Amino acid sequence: MKSDNVYLGDLTRGIVKENPVFRLVLGMCPTLAVTVFIVNGFGMGLAAAAVLIASNLVISLLRKFIPMEVRIPCFIVIIATFVTIIEMVLQAFQPALYEALGVFVPLIVVNCIILGRAEAFASKRPVFRSLADGVGVGIGFIVALVILSTVREILGQGTILGPDPASAIHLFGANFEPMALFAQPSGAFIALGLLMGLVNVIFKRFNI
Amino acid sequence: MRNILRLSLTLVVVGIVSAALLTGMYNLTTPIIAERKEAEYRESLQCCFPDFDTFETVELEEDKFDLLYDQDGDLVGIMATAVQQGYDGDITYNLAFDGEGKIIDIIIISHSETPGVGEVITTDDFQEQFIGKSYEDPLTTGEDVDTVSGATISTSSMIGSIRRVTGVAAESFLGVESEEIDIATVPDGVYSGSAPGAGGPISVEVEVSGGEIIRIDVLDQNETPTYYIESYPLIPEQIIADQNLDVDTKTGATLSAEGIINAVRDALSGALEDGS
Repeated sequence: MKSDNVYLGDLTRGIVKENPVFRLVLGMCPTLAVTVFIVNGFGMGLAAAAVLIASNLVISLLRKFIPMEVRIPCFIVIIATFVTIIEMVLQAFQPALYEALGVFVPLIVVNCIILGRAEAFASKRPVFRSLADGVGVGIGFIVALVILSTVREILGQGTILGPDPASAIHLFGANFEPMALFAQPSGAFIALGLLMGLVNVIFKRFNI
Repeated sequence: MRNILRLSLTLVVVGIVSAALLTGMYNLTTPIIAERKEAEYRESLQCCFPDFDTFETVELEEDKFDLLYDQDGDLVGIMATAVQQGYDGDITYNLAFDGEGKIIDIIIISHSETPGVGEVITTDDFQEQFIGKSYEDPLTTGEDVDTVSGATISTSSMIGSIRRVTGVAAESFLGVESEEIDIATVPDGVYSGSAPGAGGPISVEVEVSGGEIIRIDVLDQNETPTYYIESYPLIPEQIIADQNLDVDTKTGATLSAEGIINAVRDALSGALEDGS
Protein backbone atom coordinates (compact mmCIF):
# COMPACT_ATOMS: atom_id res chain seq x y z
CA MET A 1 0.00 0.00 0.00
CA LYS A 2 2.78 2.37 0.86
CA SER A 3 4.37 2.11 -2.57
CA ASP A 4 1.02 2.94 -4.16
CA ASN A 5 0.92 6.10 -2.13
CA VAL A 6 4.36 7.11 -3.35
CA TYR A 7 3.23 6.85 -6.97
CA LEU A 8 -0.02 8.61 -6.23
CA GLY A 9 1.91 11.36 -4.51
CA ASP A 10 4.26 11.70 -7.47
CA LEU A 11 1.28 11.84 -9.78
CA THR A 12 -0.84 14.41 -7.97
CA ARG A 13 1.96 16.67 -6.80
CA GLY A 14 2.55 17.90 -10.34
CA ILE A 15 -1.12 18.59 -10.99
CA VAL A 16 -2.05 20.68 -7.97
CA LYS A 17 0.58 21.44 -5.37
CA GLU A 18 3.47 21.94 -7.76
CA ASN A 19 1.52 22.84 -10.86
CA PRO A 20 4.25 23.91 -13.30
CA VAL A 21 2.40 27.01 -14.53
CA PHE A 22 0.43 28.29 -11.55
CA ARG A 23 2.80 27.31 -8.76
CA LEU A 24 6.31 26.95 -10.21
CA VAL A 25 5.89 29.47 -13.05
CA LEU A 26 7.89 27.34 -15.45
CA GLY A 27 7.53 27.01 -19.23
CA MET A 28 6.14 30.51 -19.61
CA CYS A 29 6.99 30.97 -23.31
CA PRO A 30 4.54 28.46 -24.77
CA THR A 31 2.10 29.18 -21.95
CA LEU A 32 1.78 32.81 -22.89
CA ALA A 33 2.21 32.49 -26.64
CA VAL A 34 -0.02 29.68 -27.84
CA THR A 35 -2.98 29.83 -25.48
CA VAL A 36 -5.12 31.88 -27.86
CA PHE A 37 -7.48 28.99 -28.55
CA ILE A 38 -8.38 26.06 -26.33
CA VAL A 39 -7.42 23.67 -29.12
CA ASN A 40 -3.93 25.19 -29.29
CA GLY A 41 -3.48 25.22 -25.53
CA PHE A 42 -4.54 21.60 -25.25
CA GLY A 43 -2.35 20.56 -28.21
CA MET A 44 0.68 22.35 -26.80
CA GLY A 45 0.08 20.78 -23.39
CA LEU A 46 -0.30 17.35 -24.91
CA ALA A 47 2.87 17.66 -27.01
CA ALA A 48 4.92 18.90 -24.07
CA ALA A 49 3.45 16.23 -21.79
CA ALA A 50 4.29 13.48 -24.28
CA VAL A 51 7.88 14.68 -24.48
CA LEU A 52 8.08 15.01 -20.71
CA ILE A 53 6.79 11.50 -20.05
CA ALA A 54 9.06 9.93 -22.67
CA SER A 55 12.13 11.85 -21.55
CA ASN A 56 11.46 11.16 -17.87
CA LEU A 57 11.17 7.46 -18.68
CA VAL A 58 14.35 7.26 -20.78
CA ILE A 59 16.41 9.46 -18.50
CA SER A 60 15.38 7.45 -15.47
CA LEU A 61 16.29 4.23 -17.31
CA LEU A 62 19.70 5.62 -18.26
CA ARG A 63 20.43 7.37 -14.98
CA LYS A 64 23.11 4.83 -13.99
CA PHE A 65 24.85 4.93 -17.39
CA ILE A 66 25.05 8.65 -17.90
CA PRO A 67 28.03 10.13 -16.06
CA MET A 68 27.35 13.14 -13.90
CA GLU A 69 29.66 15.43 -15.94
CA VAL A 70 27.83 15.07 -19.25
CA ARG A 71 24.30 14.63 -17.98
CA ILE A 72 22.98 17.97 -19.25
CA PRO A 73 24.05 17.47 -22.90
CA CYS A 74 22.72 13.91 -22.76
CA PHE A 75 19.37 15.10 -21.37
CA ILE A 76 19.12 17.80 -24.02
CA VAL A 77 19.85 15.34 -26.83
CA ILE A 78 17.24 12.90 -25.48
CA ILE A 79 14.64 15.65 -25.08
CA ALA A 80 15.43 17.11 -28.50
CA THR A 81 15.02 13.69 -30.08
CA PHE A 82 11.54 13.30 -28.65
CA VAL A 83 10.60 16.84 -29.58
CA THR A 84 11.68 16.30 -33.17
CA ILE A 85 9.70 13.08 -33.32
CA ILE A 86 6.62 14.85 -31.96
CA GLU A 87 7.17 17.64 -34.46
CA MET A 88 7.26 15.22 -37.39
CA VAL A 89 4.23 13.31 -36.14
CA LEU A 90 2.25 16.53 -35.70
CA GLN A 91 3.24 17.71 -39.15
CA ALA A 92 2.14 14.43 -40.67
CA PHE A 93 -1.09 13.83 -38.79
CA GLN A 94 -2.16 17.10 -37.17
CA PRO A 95 -1.06 19.75 -39.70
CA ALA A 96 -3.54 22.39 -38.51
CA LEU A 97 -2.28 22.16 -34.96
CA TYR A 98 1.32 22.11 -36.18
CA GLU A 99 0.73 25.36 -38.09
CA ALA A 100 -1.01 26.95 -35.12
CA LEU A 101 1.74 26.10 -32.63
CA GLY A 102 4.46 27.13 -35.07
CA VAL A 103 7.89 27.69 -33.61
CA PHE A 104 6.74 26.65 -30.13
CA VAL A 105 6.84 22.97 -31.06
CA PRO A 106 10.63 22.89 -31.60
CA LEU A 107 10.98 25.18 -28.59
CA ILE A 108 9.64 22.44 -26.33
CA VAL A 109 13.31 21.36 -26.27
CA VAL A 110 14.15 24.30 -24.05
CA ASN A 111 10.96 24.15 -22.02
CA CYS A 112 12.36 24.33 -18.53
CA ILE A 113 9.65 22.08 -17.12
CA ILE A 114 11.07 19.13 -19.03
CA LEU A 115 14.74 19.69 -18.29
CA GLY A 116 13.74 20.64 -14.76
CA ARG A 117 11.98 17.35 -14.13
CA ALA A 118 14.82 15.42 -15.76
CA GLU A 119 17.42 17.10 -13.60
CA ALA A 120 15.48 17.32 -10.36
CA PHE A 121 13.54 14.09 -10.45
CA ALA A 122 14.04 11.50 -13.18
CA SER A 123 17.83 11.39 -13.02
CA LYS A 124 17.68 10.40 -9.35
CA ARG A 125 14.62 8.20 -9.06
CA PRO A 126 13.46 4.78 -10.26
CA VAL A 127 11.58 4.32 -13.51
CA PHE A 128 8.00 4.02 -12.33
CA ARG A 129 8.20 6.98 -10.00
CA SER A 130 9.67 9.07 -12.81
CA LEU A 131 6.89 7.94 -15.09
CA ALA A 132 4.26 8.93 -12.50
CA ASP A 133 5.97 12.26 -12.07
CA GLY A 134 6.04 12.85 -15.82
CA VAL A 135 2.37 12.02 -16.18
CA GLY A 136 1.47 14.22 -13.21
CA VAL A 137 3.43 17.28 -14.28
CA GLY A 138 2.25 16.73 -17.85
CA ILE A 139 -1.38 16.70 -16.77
CA GLY A 140 -0.72 19.75 -14.61
CA PHE A 141 0.70 21.59 -17.61
CA ILE A 142 -2.24 20.57 -19.82
CA VAL A 143 -4.79 21.61 -17.19
CA ALA A 144 -3.11 24.99 -16.69
CA LEU A 145 -2.91 25.65 -20.44
CA VAL A 146 -6.51 24.66 -21.01
CA ILE A 147 -7.74 26.91 -18.18
CA LEU A 148 -5.69 29.85 -19.45
CA SER A 149 -6.68 29.34 -23.07
CA THR A 150 -10.36 28.99 -22.15
CA VAL A 151 -10.28 32.36 -20.44
CA ARG A 152 -8.36 33.93 -23.29
CA GLU A 153 -10.51 32.44 -26.03
CA ILE A 154 -13.76 33.50 -24.40
CA LEU A 155 -12.56 37.05 -23.77
CA GLY A 156 -10.30 37.51 -26.79
CA GLN A 157 -12.34 35.75 -29.47
CA GLY A 158 -15.80 35.33 -27.97
CA THR A 159 -15.79 31.68 -28.94
CA ILE A 160 -15.16 28.25 -27.53
CA LEU A 161 -13.44 25.47 -29.48
CA GLY A 162 -12.36 27.76 -32.35
CA PRO A 163 -10.84 28.61 -34.74
CA ASP A 164 -12.22 25.74 -36.82
CA PRO A 165 -15.66 27.04 -37.86
CA ALA A 166 -17.07 23.50 -37.71
CA SER A 167 -16.61 23.26 -33.96
CA ALA A 168 -16.50 26.91 -32.89
CA ILE A 169 -19.33 28.04 -30.63
CA HIS A 170 -19.99 31.76 -30.59
CA LEU A 171 -20.95 32.54 -27.03
CA PHE A 172 -22.17 36.09 -27.39
CA GLY A 173 -23.75 36.16 -30.84
CA ALA A 174 -22.38 37.59 -34.05
CA ASN A 175 -22.31 41.23 -32.94
CA PHE A 176 -19.99 40.66 -30.01
CA GLU A 177 -16.81 42.68 -30.27
CA PRO A 178 -14.14 40.56 -28.53
CA MET A 179 -11.44 42.12 -26.36
CA ALA A 180 -8.60 41.75 -28.82
CA LEU A 181 -6.13 42.50 -26.03
CA PHE A 182 -6.61 39.00 -24.65
CA ALA A 183 -5.69 37.48 -28.01
CA GLN A 184 -2.27 39.13 -27.72
CA PRO A 185 0.67 38.26 -25.48
CA SER A 186 0.07 41.25 -23.23
CA GLY A 187 -3.43 39.96 -22.54
CA ALA A 188 -1.89 36.57 -21.77
CA PHE A 189 0.17 38.12 -18.99
CA ILE A 190 -2.90 39.80 -17.55
CA ALA A 191 -5.00 36.65 -17.72
CA LEU A 192 -2.23 34.53 -16.24
CA GLY A 193 -1.67 37.00 -13.41
CA LEU A 194 -5.35 37.04 -12.52
CA LEU A 195 -5.58 33.26 -12.66
CA MET A 196 -2.50 32.86 -10.46
CA GLY A 197 -4.05 35.21 -7.94
CA LEU A 198 -7.24 33.19 -8.02
CA VAL A 199 -5.34 29.93 -7.57
CA ASN A 200 -3.47 31.38 -4.60
CA VAL A 201 -6.71 32.49 -2.96
CA ILE A 202 -8.24 29.06 -3.47
CA PHE A 203 -5.16 27.28 -2.13
CA LYS A 204 -5.05 29.51 0.90
CA ARG A 205 -8.72 28.90 1.57
CA PHE A 206 -8.31 25.13 1.47
CA ASN A 207 -4.86 25.04 3.04
CA ILE A 208 -3.17 23.21 0.19
CA MET B 1 42.14 9.79 -19.32
CA ARG B 2 39.80 6.85 -18.87
CA ASN B 3 37.20 9.19 -17.56
CA ILE B 4 37.34 11.42 -20.62
CA LEU B 5 36.99 8.37 -22.81
CA ARG B 6 33.92 7.26 -20.94
CA LEU B 7 32.36 10.71 -21.09
CA SER B 8 32.83 11.10 -24.82
CA LEU B 9 31.73 7.55 -25.46
CA THR B 10 28.47 8.15 -23.60
CA LEU B 11 27.82 11.27 -25.62
CA VAL B 12 28.62 9.46 -28.87
CA VAL B 13 26.29 6.58 -28.03
CA VAL B 14 23.45 8.90 -27.04
CA GLY B 15 24.00 10.88 -30.24
CA ILE B 16 24.05 7.81 -32.46
CA VAL B 17 20.92 6.31 -30.95
CA SER B 18 19.15 9.63 -31.26
CA ALA B 19 20.23 10.03 -34.88
CA ALA B 20 19.07 6.51 -35.73
CA LEU B 21 15.68 7.12 -34.15
CA LEU B 22 15.24 10.39 -35.96
CA THR B 23 16.27 8.96 -39.31
CA GLY B 24 13.71 6.19 -38.97
CA MET B 25 11.01 8.63 -37.96
CA TYR B 26 11.90 11.00 -40.77
CA ASN B 27 11.65 8.26 -43.37
CA LEU B 28 8.29 7.26 -41.96
CA THR B 29 6.72 10.70 -41.89
CA THR B 30 8.22 12.48 -44.90
CA PRO B 31 6.15 10.71 -47.56
CA ILE B 32 3.00 11.28 -45.50
CA ILE B 33 3.78 14.96 -45.10
CA ALA B 34 4.57 15.40 -48.79
CA GLU B 35 1.44 13.54 -49.83
CA ARG B 36 -0.71 15.55 -47.47
CA LYS B 37 0.72 18.86 -48.70
CA GLU B 38 0.16 17.90 -52.31
CA ALA B 39 -3.39 16.73 -51.57
CA GLU B 40 -4.08 19.87 -49.60
CA TYR B 41 -2.82 22.04 -52.42
CA ARG B 42 -4.81 20.19 -55.06
CA GLU B 43 -7.86 20.53 -52.86
CA SER B 44 -7.29 24.23 -52.44
CA LEU B 45 -7.08 24.50 -56.23
CA GLN B 46 -10.28 22.52 -56.56
CA CYS B 47 -12.26 25.24 -54.81
CA CYS B 48 -11.48 27.79 -57.48
CA PHE B 49 -10.88 25.58 -60.50
CA PRO B 50 -13.27 22.62 -60.35
CA ASP B 51 -12.37 21.35 -63.82
CA PHE B 52 -8.58 21.48 -63.77
CA ASP B 53 -6.63 18.37 -64.52
CA THR B 54 -2.92 19.13 -64.54
CA PHE B 55 -0.84 22.05 -63.46
CA GLU B 56 2.50 23.48 -64.35
CA THR B 57 4.54 25.68 -62.05
CA VAL B 58 6.37 28.74 -63.27
CA GLU B 59 8.48 30.90 -61.00
CA LEU B 60 8.98 34.50 -61.96
CA GLU B 61 11.26 36.48 -59.67
CA GLU B 62 9.58 36.41 -56.27
CA ASP B 63 6.22 35.08 -57.42
CA LYS B 64 5.13 31.55 -58.19
CA PHE B 65 2.45 30.85 -60.75
CA ASP B 66 0.67 27.56 -61.23
CA LEU B 67 -0.89 27.35 -64.65
CA LEU B 68 -3.89 25.06 -64.55
CA TYR B 69 -5.05 23.14 -67.58
CA ASP B 70 -8.18 21.07 -68.11
CA GLN B 71 -8.23 17.66 -69.77
CA ASP B 72 -8.13 19.20 -73.26
CA GLY B 73 -5.03 21.17 -72.36
CA ASP B 74 -6.78 24.52 -72.25
CA LEU B 75 -5.73 27.08 -69.68
CA VAL B 76 -8.55 27.26 -67.14
CA GLY B 77 -6.86 29.42 -64.59
CA ILE B 78 -3.76 30.67 -62.84
CA MET B 79 -2.98 30.31 -59.18
CA ALA B 80 -0.41 32.85 -58.09
CA THR B 81 1.53 32.65 -54.84
CA ALA B 82 3.05 35.95 -53.79
CA VAL B 83 4.72 37.43 -50.76
CA GLN B 84 4.18 41.02 -49.76
CA GLN B 85 5.64 43.02 -46.92
CA GLY B 86 2.73 44.02 -44.70
CA TYR B 87 2.63 46.15 -41.57
CA ASP B 88 4.35 43.51 -39.49
CA GLY B 89 6.22 40.92 -41.52
CA ASP B 90 5.47 39.10 -44.72
CA ILE B 91 2.02 38.30 -46.00
CA THR B 92 1.96 35.17 -48.14
CA TYR B 93 -1.15 34.74 -50.20
CA ASN B 94 -2.69 33.01 -53.19
CA LEU B 95 -4.43 34.86 -55.94
CA ALA B 96 -6.64 32.78 -58.20
CA PHE B 97 -7.39 33.97 -61.72
CA ASP B 98 -9.72 32.42 -64.24
CA GLY B 99 -8.65 31.82 -67.83
CA GLU B 100 -9.32 35.47 -68.73
CA GLY B 101 -7.28 36.94 -65.90
CA LYS B 102 -10.24 37.80 -63.66
CA ILE B 103 -9.60 37.41 -59.93
CA ILE B 104 -11.80 34.67 -58.51
CA ASP B 105 -10.35 34.23 -55.06
CA ILE B 106 -7.83 35.55 -52.59
CA ILE B 107 -6.47 33.18 -49.97
CA ILE B 108 -4.18 34.49 -47.25
CA ILE B 109 -1.81 31.66 -46.42
CA SER B 110 0.12 33.27 -43.61
CA HIS B 111 0.50 36.72 -42.13
CA SER B 112 1.46 38.35 -38.86
CA GLU B 113 -0.65 41.49 -39.03
CA THR B 114 -2.09 42.87 -35.80
CA PRO B 115 -5.04 40.76 -34.62
CA GLY B 116 -8.27 42.70 -34.94
CA VAL B 117 -6.60 45.45 -37.00
CA GLY B 118 -4.43 44.51 -39.98
CA GLU B 119 -6.06 41.12 -39.80
CA VAL B 120 -8.94 42.52 -41.89
CA ILE B 121 -6.98 41.46 -44.97
CA THR B 122 -8.26 37.94 -44.27
CA THR B 123 -11.92 38.98 -44.20
CA ASP B 124 -14.43 38.58 -46.99
CA ASP B 125 -15.42 42.22 -46.66
CA PHE B 126 -11.97 43.31 -47.72
CA GLN B 127 -11.33 40.58 -50.27
CA GLU B 128 -14.69 40.72 -52.03
CA GLN B 129 -13.90 44.06 -53.63
CA PHE B 130 -11.25 42.38 -55.80
CA ILE B 131 -13.36 39.49 -57.00
CA GLY B 132 -14.22 39.73 -60.69
CA LYS B 133 -11.64 42.44 -61.34
CA SER B 134 -8.81 41.91 -63.79
CA TYR B 135 -5.74 43.59 -65.26
CA GLU B 136 -8.11 45.89 -67.14
CA ASP B 137 -9.31 47.45 -63.89
CA PRO B 138 -7.27 50.11 -62.10
CA LEU B 139 -7.16 48.11 -58.81
CA THR B 140 -6.24 51.36 -57.15
CA THR B 141 -7.09 52.77 -53.75
CA GLY B 142 -9.93 55.24 -54.03
CA GLU B 143 -10.86 54.25 -57.56
CA ASP B 144 -12.30 50.77 -57.52
CA VAL B 145 -10.99 49.36 -54.24
CA ASP B 146 -10.64 50.84 -50.77
CA THR B 147 -8.28 50.50 -47.87
CA VAL B 148 -9.72 49.86 -44.42
CA SER B 149 -9.22 52.78 -42.07
CA GLY B 150 -7.11 51.87 -39.08
CA ALA B 151 -5.39 49.21 -41.18
CA THR B 152 -4.16 51.41 -44.02
CA ILE B 153 -0.67 49.94 -44.29
CA SER B 154 -1.82 46.32 -44.29
CA THR B 155 -4.62 46.90 -46.76
CA SER B 156 -2.82 49.28 -49.10
CA SER B 157 0.17 46.96 -49.37
CA MET B 158 -2.21 44.14 -50.26
CA ILE B 159 -3.92 46.29 -52.88
CA GLY B 160 -0.58 47.23 -54.39
CA SER B 161 0.64 43.67 -54.42
CA ILE B 162 -2.56 42.33 -55.96
CA ARG B 163 -2.37 44.98 -58.67
CA ARG B 164 1.23 44.03 -59.41
CA VAL B 165 0.64 40.26 -59.47
CA THR B 166 -2.46 40.69 -61.63
CA GLY B 167 -0.38 42.67 -64.13
CA VAL B 168 2.49 40.18 -64.13
CA ALA B 169 0.11 37.25 -64.64
CA ALA B 170 -1.66 38.97 -67.51
CA GLU B 171 1.56 39.97 -69.26
CA SER B 172 3.33 36.67 -68.74
CA PHE B 173 0.61 34.13 -69.42
CA LEU B 174 -2.33 35.78 -71.10
CA GLY B 175 -0.40 37.56 -73.82
CA VAL B 176 -1.43 41.02 -72.69
CA GLU B 177 1.22 43.50 -73.72
CA SER B 178 1.88 46.61 -71.79
CA GLU B 179 1.69 49.43 -74.29
CA GLU B 180 5.10 50.16 -75.74
CA ILE B 181 5.79 53.81 -76.24
CA ASP B 182 8.18 55.03 -78.88
CA ILE B 183 9.66 58.05 -77.19
CA ALA B 184 11.00 59.39 -80.48
CA THR B 185 7.46 59.98 -81.73
CA VAL B 186 6.45 62.10 -78.77
CA PRO B 187 6.28 65.79 -79.72
CA ASP B 188 8.33 68.26 -77.70
CA GLY B 189 6.66 69.64 -74.62
CA VAL B 190 6.01 69.21 -70.93
CA TYR B 191 3.50 66.55 -69.99
CA SER B 192 2.08 65.40 -66.73
CA GLY B 193 0.73 62.02 -65.77
CA SER B 194 -0.02 59.96 -62.71
CA ALA B 195 -0.18 56.34 -61.62
CA PRO B 196 -0.75 54.52 -58.36
CA GLY B 197 2.28 53.80 -56.19
CA ALA B 198 2.35 51.93 -52.92
CA GLY B 199 0.79 54.68 -50.84
CA GLY B 200 -1.41 56.51 -53.34
CA PRO B 201 -1.13 58.25 -56.68
CA ILE B 202 2.26 59.45 -57.86
CA SER B 203 2.14 62.36 -60.27
CA VAL B 204 5.05 63.33 -62.48
CA GLU B 205 5.97 65.98 -64.98
CA VAL B 206 7.94 64.84 -68.01
CA GLU B 207 9.75 67.11 -70.40
CA VAL B 208 10.42 65.83 -73.91
CA SER B 209 12.66 67.58 -76.33
CA GLY B 210 13.91 66.34 -79.68
CA GLY B 211 12.41 62.91 -79.21
CA GLU B 212 14.14 62.40 -75.88
CA ILE B 213 13.08 62.64 -72.28
CA ILE B 214 15.23 65.32 -70.74
CA ARG B 215 13.57 65.81 -67.37
CA ILE B 216 11.32 63.88 -64.99
CA ASP B 217 10.01 65.58 -61.87
CA VAL B 218 7.87 63.87 -59.28
CA LEU B 219 5.27 66.47 -58.29
CA ASP B 220 3.30 64.58 -55.72
CA GLN B 221 3.64 61.28 -53.93
CA ASN B 222 2.66 59.65 -50.70
CA GLU B 223 5.12 56.74 -50.54
CA THR B 224 6.72 55.28 -47.45
CA PRO B 225 9.78 57.54 -47.13
CA THR B 226 12.41 54.79 -46.78
CA TYR B 227 11.17 52.94 -49.85
CA TYR B 228 10.64 56.11 -51.81
CA ILE B 229 14.23 57.20 -51.32
CA GLU B 230 15.37 53.97 -52.95
CA SER B 231 13.28 54.56 -56.06
CA TYR B 232 13.81 58.24 -56.44
CA PRO B 233 15.83 59.70 -58.05
CA LEU B 234 17.23 56.38 -59.27
CA ILE B 235 14.30 55.46 -61.50
CA PRO B 236 13.91 58.83 -63.31
CA GLU B 237 17.68 58.97 -63.84
CA GLN B 238 17.70 55.51 -65.32
CA ILE B 239 14.77 56.25 -67.62
CA ILE B 240 16.55 59.34 -68.89
CA ALA B 241 19.82 57.48 -69.35
CA ASP B 242 18.23 54.57 -71.19
CA GLN B 243 15.48 56.56 -72.92
CA ASN B 244 13.38 53.54 -72.17
CA LEU B 245 10.67 52.81 -69.63
CA ASP B 246 11.77 49.22 -69.25
CA VAL B 247 14.16 49.80 -66.35
CA ASP B 248 14.97 47.54 -63.45
CA THR B 249 12.96 48.18 -60.33
CA LYS B 250 14.53 47.84 -56.97
CA THR B 251 13.43 44.97 -54.78
CA GLY B 252 11.80 46.16 -51.61
CA ALA B 253 10.46 49.25 -53.30
CA THR B 254 8.93 47.65 -56.37
CA LEU B 255 5.56 49.32 -55.99
CA SER B 256 7.01 52.83 -55.69
CA ALA B 257 9.35 52.27 -58.60
CA GLU B 258 6.62 50.90 -60.82
CA GLY B 259 4.40 53.76 -59.76
CA ILE B 260 6.96 56.25 -61.09
CA ILE B 261 7.45 54.30 -64.32
CA ASN B 262 3.72 54.01 -64.90
CA ALA B 263 3.21 57.69 -64.19
CA VAL B 264 5.82 58.55 -66.86
CA ARG B 265 4.14 56.12 -69.23
CA ASP B 266 0.81 57.78 -68.50
CA ALA B 267 2.26 61.19 -69.28
CA LEU B 268 3.81 60.05 -72.57
CA SER B 269 0.77 58.14 -73.78
CA GLY B 270 -1.33 61.18 -72.94
CA ALA B 271 1.03 63.24 -75.06
CA LEU B 272 0.73 60.84 -77.99
CA GLU B 273 -3.05 60.86 -77.80
CA ASP B 274 -3.20 64.64 -77.78
CA GLY B 275 -0.88 64.85 -80.73
CA SER B 276 -2.72 62.47 -83.02
